[in-house]
Amino acid sequence: MSQWVLKGIRTGIKTTAYPRDAERAAGVTPGLPVGGEFSAEAAAALVDRCPVQALSRTDGSVSVDYRRCVHCHRCVRGVEPPLDWETTYEWAATRRPQNEFGPAFSRSIHIVVVDAGDCGACLNEVKQLNNPYYNMHRLGFFITPTPRHADVLLVVGPVTDHMRVALQKTYDAMPTPKRVVAVGACALSGGVFAESFVCEKGLADVLPVDVEVPGHPPPPLAILHGLLVAVGRKPPASLVSTPSAVKTNPAEP
Amino acid sequence: MESQTLILVFLALCGTGVLLSLVWPESRQGALLAWVGCLGAITLVWAGTNALLADQTFNQLLWPLPELGTLTLKLDRLSAVFAVITGLVLFPASIFAGGELRVTPERREGRAFTAMLLGLYASIGLIFVAGDVLLFLLAWEVMSVLSYLLVLCDRNRENGRAGAGYLLLAMGEAGTLAAALGFILLAVGAGSLDFGVIRSAASPLGPSARWAVFLLSFFGFGVKAGLVPVNFWLPRAYAVAPRAFVPVLAGATLNLGLYGILRVNADLMSSTQVGPGLVALIVGTLSALVGILYATTANDLKTMLAHSSIENAGIVVAGFGAGMVFVATAHPVPAAIAFVAGLYHLINHSLYKTLLFFGAGVVEGQTGTRDMDRLGGLIKWMPWTALGFLAGTLSIAALPPFNGFVSEWLTLQTMLRSAELASTPAKMVFALCGAGLALTAALAVTCFVKVFAMSFLGMRRLDGNQRVTEAGSGALIPMAILAVLCLAFGVLPTYVIPALDSAAGSLAGASAADALVPPFFAPNPAHDTLPPAFVGEFHDLGAQVGQSVLPGRGLVVLHRGGPENPVVFAMSTSYMLVALISLLIVTYVVIRLWLTRSRRLARRERWDGGVRRLLPEMTYTATGFSNPVRVIFDAVFRPTTVEDTRETVAEHFRTAIRREKERVHLVDKLVFLPVRTAAFWFAGGLAAMHHGRINVYAAYVLLALLAALVIALL
Amino acid sequence: MNLAGLTEQIEQRWRGMTRCRLVAATFACEITCGRAALAELCGWLFSEQGYSFAGLIVEEGAAEWQLRYVFYGEREAGRVHVLVNSPSAERAFPSIVKFVHAADWHEREAEDLFGLVFEGHPRLGDFVLHNDAWQENVEPMRHRFDARAAMLHRKPAADWRPRRVVQEAGAFVMPIGPKYSGATESVHFLLETVGEDVIRAVPRLFYKWRAIEKLAEGKTVGDVLLLAERFAATTAFAHGLGFCQAVESITNAAVPARALLLRVFLAELERLRQHAGAIQEICESTALVVANSQAGILEEDLLRISGELAGHRYLFGLLAPGGLLCDLTNDACRRALAQSQKVLAELNELEKRLRVSSSFLDRLEEVGVIAFKDAKAFGLVGPVARASGLVRDLRRAQPYSGYERFDFDVPGEQEGDGYARLRVLFAEARQSARVMEQAIAALKDGGVHEPVTLCPGAALGWVEAPRGAAFHWVRLDESGRVARYRVVPPSFPNWHGFRLAVENFAFQDFPIILSTFDLSVAENDR
Repeated sequence: MSQWVLKGIRTGIKTTAYPRDAERAAGVTPGLPVGGEFSAEAAAALVDRCPVQALSRTDGSVSVDYRRCVHCHRCVRGVEPPLDWETTYEWAATRRPQNEFGPAFSRSIHIVVVDAGDCGACLNEVKQLNNPYYNMHRLGFFITPTPRHADVLLVVGPVTDHMRVALQKTYDAMPTPKRVVAVGACALSGGVFAESFVCEKGLADVLPVDVEVPGHPPPPLAILHGLLVAVGRKPPASLVSTPSAVKTNPAEP
Repeated sequence: MESQTLILVFLALCGTGVLLSLVWPESRQGALLAWVGCLGAITLVWAGTNALLADQTFNQLLWPLPELGTLTLKLDRLSAVFAVITGLVLFPASIFAGGELRVTPERREGRAFTAMLLGLYASIGLIFVAGDVLLFLLAWEVMSVLSYLLVLCDRNRENGRAGAGYLLLAMGEAGTLAAALGFILLAVGAGSLDFGVIRSAASPLGPSARWAVFLLSFFGFGVKAGLVPVNFWLPRAYAVAPRAFVPVLAGATLNLGLYGILRVNADLMSSTQVGPGLVALIVGTLSALVGILYATTANDLKTMLAHSSIENAGIVVAGFGAGMVFVATAHPVPAAIAFVAGLYHLINHSLYKTLLFFGAGVVEGQTGTRDMDRLGGLIKWMPWTALGFLAGTLSIAALPPFNGFVSEWLTLQTMLRSAELASTPAKMVFALCGAGLALTAALAVTCFVKVFAMSFLGMRRLDGNQRVTEAGSGALIPMAILAVLCLAFGVLPTYVIPALDSAAGSLAGASAADALVPPFFAPNPAHDTLPPAFVGEFHDLGAQVGQSVLPGRGLVVLHRGGPENPVVFAMSTSYMLVALISLLIVTYVVIRLWLTRSRRLARRERWDGGVRRLLPEMTYTATGFSNPVRVIFDAVFRPTTVEDTRETVAEHFRTAIRREKERVHLVDKLVFLPVRTAAFWFAGGLAAMHHGRINVYAAYVLLALLAALVIALL
Repeated sequence: MNLAGLTEQIEQRWRGMTRCRLVAATFACEITCGRAALAELCGWLFSEQGYSFAGLIVEEGAAEWQLRYVFYGEREAGRVHVLVNSPSAERAFPSIVKFVHAADWHEREAEDLFGLVFEGHPRLGDFVLHNDAWQENVEPMRHRFDARAAMLHRKPAADWRPRRVVQEAGAFVMPIGPKYSGATESVHFLLETVGEDVIRAVPRLFYKWRAIEKLAEGKTVGDVLLLAERFAATTAFAHGLGFCQAVESITNAAVPARALLLRVFLAELERLRQHAGAIQEICESTALVVANSQAGILEEDLLRISGELAGHRYLFGLLAPGGLLCDLTNDACRRALAQSQKVLAELNELEKRLRVSSSFLDRLEEVGVIAFKDAKAFGLVGPVARASGLVRDLRRAQPYSGYERFDFDVPGEQEGDGYARLRVLFAEARQSARVMEQAIAALKDGGVHEPVTLCPGAALGWVEAPRGAAFHWVRLDESGRVARYRVVPPSFPNWHGFRLAVENFAFQDFPIILSTFDLSVAENDR
């Protein structure tokens, strides 16, 4: 067993400095498109290019609805001029005013994760939160297998018809105060599965959602930001990017 | 009234009851049984209490028989203890049996049942007050035969009843024979059949005679007590005995075996060798282990309780064995403690086992099944039965503040006294047996958690159409009485121990009361038994709380290790009960009425992993719960696979997987089956002589005559 | 044997009942077969000719059904499609399950989704459409399906009970899920047991069924590419590649050489990352904490390498039919390669340490064994099959994207237990790094995309995804939209065979065996 101890010591500390400082390593986030000003035809071409209708325009102003963006990159690849792209990760937004969670929860919450039809990527990013790079235990966040001990319900995936009962039971089994965090474009808007007859168009149609984290999948840092927003340790961001919107993401590289 | 009169009243009541039952109509038999039984039980308890507390023992000569001595009635302290406990058990048992008879009027055997049961009461009473061998054996035989007849007395023919009954009778007779031989050896040595004479003449008996008497009486009475290896009749008989009789079988007749062992080996012939005591200790521990292992893996309520009886009898005998060892090595105070522990456990077992058999009988009556794999969720329909059964379960699992805890504590403390013994082999035996008893206690918790949970909690597994209702008051009142008694004997050990001590003291030759229950409630001079430093500590801990209100010596049971092992163990279930109740109240007040007073209590469905519907077949069965025990103790159970077939369609679609394992009981395999095979072989040999042809029989007669002539001439 | 010889033999044995059409250049062969000969022919191909069963593709034409049974073998043995046609009114077909057990779940899925009846199959029903959630005769994949009406008239069976097979005193069915453990995919298990061992395990899947095959009908190729990437996004690139290859087959597109090499590079990067993730899951399930952390570090490293190289940690948005959507610079690729080789060195060290951790090996050795004949009969694929001795890899057997020019081994083991599967994962990771190196060395400048002109047609695209062989069948209609999209993911046969590994082992071994299989519920459920 000593070989493991020595290896662990030799590996050193890998944990990210977030949320104290920004994380600047490459590859930690896919980033998101940013709304911008274009000529009318260019704007129209961009809006047509998006396969999930995440872009909308008024004349030449193109706005991005992050609820829908599925990271197909077609608005930046294969089109001229492309949209601007930002590589931040603090994307979570709130949907309801956060009255219930008091300071008692800010450094200790238990999360129950329900996979309601997720493709595997969002769930994999959630699982990365426990690896040494992100280590969410240091922030007081724990994943619990039973809803009876949980404060936060984290849902990934478009809510499939077969999982409705299980999801509802999980929510009902949680004691108050509780929060619901919807993670990923599929949970926010149904993603590419929204038109399927067995999928919902977003978790908000099924449960009262408190925090929404866009992305497809959102990187672990974005999910971490979402949890920090849920406990009030970080301010929320906006889910719509318009050209005139003031940037509210402080952690910009 | 004097105890002597009371005993005679008791016998008269039983006799009157028998006569009345022969003439009264069938429909009144239940009431008759209940009333006469209760009155008889009250007189028995009264007589015993008088003898114990007011020292009203008696020795009454009855009719002299030529060449056989005088039939004597004698109630000494040991008999008094047994009389009290039997009376305490027979009181609710009579109510229960009477209620059972009333509830099922179509059976026309009520009359026979009542008469025989009252006769059994009388014979049990006579066994306790028998003062000489002849009366003892007569009463014992009557009791044996009546038990056999009562086991068979039920219109509902259950599978295997006849066989189990024969086995009970056969083993009973074999045991009686062995015990009688033991008595005869003692009587021959003393020249008289009277217990008093035998007792005084027992001291010069040589070691081999002592061993012979011990082995004959131990295993002879051990049949009735349910000791390994002569107890293979017990689970079978308990399982098939009628519901109304099984509580008496477990609560009263089992004690007779223990009484016999104690009477012969501790009273009539006190031990001078360490050997017999160690044998008793080892056999007791083995019985306890084997009993609880088979109890944990049994799924039938009554069979499980029968195996558990074997376990408890083993614990009692282990205590007695320890006492015998201490008497032989001249440590009277530990011996007295050991006998107190054994007697206390005997009392407790009678109380809670009877209670549990009441519960099992009610469950069987209301649901029609005893199989725990098919029960479940009954607490919803039978809340009071469940509560009573829970009290019994907590007691048998030795949880404070119930009575099982006190006797287990005392027994294990006794085992710790082995440090005072001189011989190392004896110490090792004590250590191993102590560990074995501790293992037994742990397994008992597993067993009874399973019993209560699988029968009463969880989801209902019975057929949906069957209606299940609460038991009638005829069953609930006896359960309530016994539950209260279990709690009382658990919470007031400091009052029970001095009473038992008078009996144990007569066996051990010293008093354990001061060693176990020092008088904290008495003024200073009575604290001679404890050094002042100790007393100061206990005063700081509050050992005199209640001094002004309660009579008696105090509420703390103490055990000091002894000169070689000067540690002090103290416990007080009385204060524990008070603390428990206070904690519950305080917790409720603080949390519900203060901290969460503004919060609504929400009731939600149980969490089941999100399945659409949780079905009863998705919950743990009794077999599943105890499977780990089965797997770990595989070497004891040694299952053989009877069937392990897989049926498939198109080679990969399984349509059926049939698995069946056979587990032959260890004692059966080692003792019963070989004996049975030998008996069959012998009988087969004898049968070869029976040709059925007259000429051959004539030849036999001729041969016998010739042989007789030859012998007469020689 | 080669396909010409095969077709000769078939026409001889089943004279008059079959009609063969050979396309020798692409090693493909289509055999239209009558119902009487179907089961025997499929069995002969599967058992005696050594073909693997890829899947059953059901297509509903205007007036007829077409069932396509796809088999594939090594190199010249090629791909054999066995076709059965039937008028729309006749929905009964013979089941081939007796000869090809691997077709079991394919037939069950076709019965649930299309309403076909496979005569001789003993276990139809309650597969995709759970009986306690749906009424009978829903048939969602049929053209005439009305989703609104079906949802309005929902009538689940009120008395659904699990099928009990074990007849032992005290047996019960232990349910696990669909929500269980910490962060796991939603799947329901029904384990028949008497308390310690699992005697029979039945996984109840399709809780995550999103009906992508129905969703894809009528969509553009670009939209369906999104579905292909995102239905099982942990292996998004592989599935996207399979789809693109199918479309390129239909349109006879010529993918530029640089795009082919970069596709190989990215596919192997994804394989390396997914295998690191699988190793991390195994270490987590055995509660070997330090190894779990170390493997977690390596998986995150590979995710960051992928994210830095491609702009997305799971390689979304790179593929397009005809090549790649955007080019990657040679420098970026070399950087990614160098970083990956560092990760591989760490992975090798991790393997060395794990091989001497006896408490870890105790949980894996001889636990969850799948015998070779079972792996063959159930049609298992991927590292799971290769650990049981069934060594077949589409990159070797039916090379695509230029794999025939690469020099790499396909590792295999014989024992079929959890430890063998772990060893195969490590060995395949090493081979992936080898291929990545060769791909970068061969990179030349050039374009990465040739525009594709869509035309009607149908073709099969296949790819050796990290979890095993994946098949994508695409049919385009006249307007260039997708008329039928069928995916046979590698987790589908592996979930089918999973129960073999867990039966007769204790409960405590169950999660460990599950982790050694590296199964994806999202991939299976589609």
